[in-house]
Amino acid sequence: MSKLLEVKNLYLSIESENENKILKDINFSINSSEILSLIGESGSGKSLTALSIIRLLEKNCRIKKGKIIFNDTDLLSLEEQNMRLIRKNDISMIFQEPMRSLNPVMSIYDQLLEAHEKDSRKKIKRKIIENLISVGIDDASRVIDLFPHQLSGGMKQRVMIAMAIACKPKLLIADEPTTSLDVTIQKQVLDLLLELRNELNMSILFITHDLAVASQISDNIVVMKEGMVVENSESKKFFENPKSLYSKTLLASSSYNRKNNFTNSLKNNSVLKVNNLKVYFKEKKSFIARNQDYKKAVDDISISIDAGATHAIVGESGSGKTTIAKAIMGLTEVTDGDIRILDKDILKMEGKEKLNFRKNYQMIFQDPFSSLNPRMRVGSIIKEGLSFLKPYMNTEETNECLKNVIENVGLEESSLYKYPHQFSGGQRQRIAIARVLVLDPKLLICDEPTSSLDVTVQKQVLDLLNEIQTKNQISYLFISHDINLVASISDTLSVMYQGKIVESGKTSDIINNTSNDYTKKLLSSVPQIL
Amino acid sequence: MFVFLLTDIFFYIIIFSIGLYIFYVRKTKDILETWKHVFKSRTGIISIVVLSFFLLIAILDSIHIKEKIYNEQTESFSYESEIKSVLDIILLPTYKNYEKSYSSPFSSNLYSKETIILENNIERRVYPKLLYKGNHNKYASDNTVNILLTFIISLLKYFFVFLIFYLFFYFRIIFKRKNNIFTPFKLNKVFLMTLSIIVILSIFLYELSLQYYVLGTDKVGVDVLYKSIKSIRTGILIGTLTTIVMLPFAIFLGIFAGYIGGFVDDVIQYIYTTLNSIPSVLLIASAILMLQVYMANNPLNFENIYERADLRLFFLCMILGLTSWTGLCRLLRGESMKLREVEYVQASKTFGLNRFSIIVRHIMPNIMHIVIITIVLDFSALVLAEAVLSYVNIGVDPTTYSWGNMINAARLEMSKEPIVWWSLFSAFTFMFILVLFANLFSDVVRDAFDPRSNKNYE
Repeated sequence: MSKLLEVKNLYLSIESENENKILKDINFSINSSEILSLIGESGSGKSLTALSIIRLLEKNCRIKKGKIIFNDTDLLSLEEQNMRLIRKNDISMIFQEPMRSLNPVMSIYDQLLEAHEKDSRKKIKRKIIENLISVGIDDASRVIDLFPHQLSGGMKQRVMIAMAIACKPKLLIADEPTTSLDVTIQKQVLDLLLELRNELNMSILFITHDLAVASQISDNIVVMKEGMVVENSESKKFFENPKSLYSKTLLASSSYNRKNNFTNSLKNNSVLKVNNLKVYFKEKKSFIARNQDYKKAVDDISISIDAGATHAIVGESGSGKTTIAKAIMGLTEVTDGDIRILDKDILKMEGKEKLNFRKNYQMIFQDPFSSLNPRMRVGSIIKEGLSFLKPYMNTEETNECLKNVIENVGLEESSLYKYPHQFSGGQRQRIAIARVLVLDPKLLICDEPTSSLDVTVQKQVLDLLNEIQTKNQISYLFISHDINLVASISDTLSVMYQGKIVESGKTSDIINNTSNDYTKKLLSSVPQIL
Repeated sequence: MFVFLLTDIFFYIIIFSIGLYIFYVRKTKDILETWKHVFKSRTGIISIVVLSFFLLIAILDSIHIKEKIYNEQTESFSYESEIKSVLDIILLPTYKNYEKSYSSPFSSNLYSKETIILENNIERRVYPKLLYKGNHNKYASDNTVNILLTFIISLLKYFFVFLIFYLFFYFRIIFKRKNNIFTPFKLNKVFLMTLSIIVILSIFLYELSLQYYVLGTDKVGVDVLYKSIKSIRTGILIGTLTTIVMLPFAIFLGIFAGYIGGFVDDVIQYIYTTLNSIPSVLLIASAILMLQVYMANNPLNFENIYERADLRLFFLCMILGLTSWTGLCRLLRGESMKLREVEYVQASKTFGLNRFSIIVRHIMPNIMHIVIITIVLDFSALVLAEAVLSYVNIGVDPTTYSWGNMINAARLEMSKEPIVWWSLFSAFTFMFILVLFANLFSDVVRDAFDPRSNKNYE
């Protein structure tokens, strides 16, 4: 096989005061009709590498050295207009966010029109429809008149792929194309990419942080860390026997195993009991309609968690998982049902009683970047809960508490005087954990606490949560879209689909032999390392 | 005796709150870092120095005094009816005498011919000589040489002042045992340069004003340069006082509408859309006319014309403030709506914080950058608005010195033959300098505070 693309000794730096090199000596090559995965954590330089191939770098990025040879021409020395031709005919790219890559005011037809050669109206329309059918959109003649907001995430990504392959490129660069999609849709997109590869004989440079996804799709793997290539080998060899230390830790973190297992020592001592919970959102009533329409976000749900146990709720986006968390925390109104924490009905509590009781149940949010006020010091962020929920503490006690808790989550005491932007994602999530831990809750709701973190950091945060659970006997309500992760950390599990629980029970039972169709589908969609 | 006019009091409050803000910034690390961005940029330093100079003039012009005079007839002390500011007292030698009418910059004669009778009863049409300035060259009889010499002398004076300051710092340094002669020079060079240019220019202008009418005289023979300098206070006052009036409306209504939402949001939105759809000139005109009627009916409420003019200026600021809060309010409403859904606000709700605490602790600090950007951006627009309003006679009182009034008067002067251009020119120049540096400053501030251009706030 001939080499289609070859990246040789690529050095890149971003112009700033201290000209540090972002990419250092990148070398790899892609043969025709081959899929190469670029793997690395955020900030490792994967996207920059891809952007320098297609030469769409920001202005302040400078390629210092190196060659990018595509079909025997050095892309870096090409004139801009010739490069434009290459982008038009030979190399295409799809991006992570399908919502942002499509222009919201143009119909799908108009957007695809840009990607196609000029031709007569009829012919172009036929081509576009064929194009859409080839990416698995069956009712293409209807879809072309729609606007992006009328399509689901998976459909949008298909449209993006259709645009990218319209010119029948030799190389497709896919920058985390499935990261923002649900697992079932992710599987469809991955299958589609594999199919297209065979059909069109194109090569794919697949950028991802997810090892399982990479193992499903790729022939070769390149692992990057801090702007350098750590490992470059065949996919099979890589997963069987990774050479570098970093790859080994990556592989180890991608499959998480809980060390302790829940021992049911305190029987029938339920911390949280949710009975027939219903959360309906009013939909906008039209002028003439008689009946109020409701969107049933959570429909008749019952959960119960024992002391010190972990219950997980798993489901796709829009299935109502987060609404349950919000309903328990009182962030959204409950239509019907009751929620009992430590045998007290929190929906009936009011005023001071509720304020006093609040410290018993707390929540960790998904995005550590937006859950901490950027203008407050870490110390006062953690102190906030204390000062409202435990007002009887004096200053000394409070300070003592802060010191203990910040050490418990593995940060230094000096962190208390810093601002959130001085920390990395993982450290921020530790701060968020410290903020609720300081209240000594009995129930902790974790709403996708690790999904915005890198795998190695994810593992650390999960370890921390685990450690806290064994130490303080806290019950967790763990909300996640990742059934793989949930399988390894939870004792009991509920699978949600469109506001309803489709299956509930012991985790091991559900994972190993489920009878439910949806659960089966979910399990089979999850990419496994081969 | 000190006299406090209404606008003076509010101006002191503004200066005091700027002081408080500086004190607050010095204690808050992240905002201090942002302001350091402003001080790091060259444009930022230059515009801050220039604006501070303008502000200094406005402050000096806002400390008002009545002088004690001894009345020989009644043999008792009484106060003059005229109110003077500290600035007037400093500039007294340059403006105390009035000419008869127009004279062009640096000229030694009036601008129009008059009939004079010579000793032998012969009538002649001549340009009469100016009485107080223009014919009193200090250093040389030739004008150009004289101006040059004046410049050199003001340079020397500047170096003298500089030397005093230098020695002052130098001895302070020796006292602290950090013995380095050049330490004072280690101050920011741009800062020193700008300051020097301003100081040299002001000394030079002052020296010149003792001998010439640098920007000519107006219809009643008043030095136009003096008028323009006195107008600085009016401009700055309108720019700042209006902001103070509008801020509470914009901030509180904006946050309530955005954060609480629902019915409150609807009401506030209706108010500002209604207010926005009434042409603000109409509102301002009606308010000013109402005030004029009130002043005409109650002449006894005012001790002197200064108070009347001052009340009108104050009223103008009020009404400008009442009509201009809607833009900022809308911005803040949108931002609070966004912040309401942000996870740190949700998190504090789970801690049981009430609405008030959430607004104070989480919403307010995170919208402040918008407020600061808007204040600085609006300032120059308001200075210009004053000029426009005075031009159509609904601005400040005709007796108040203001650029708008000067421009208004220039409307007639421009139609004279030969044309009288210097009133318009000087009003334009001063306003241009103030507005230009205010705009440059606002640009730098926006760059520093805008989260999209600053990585600290991502």
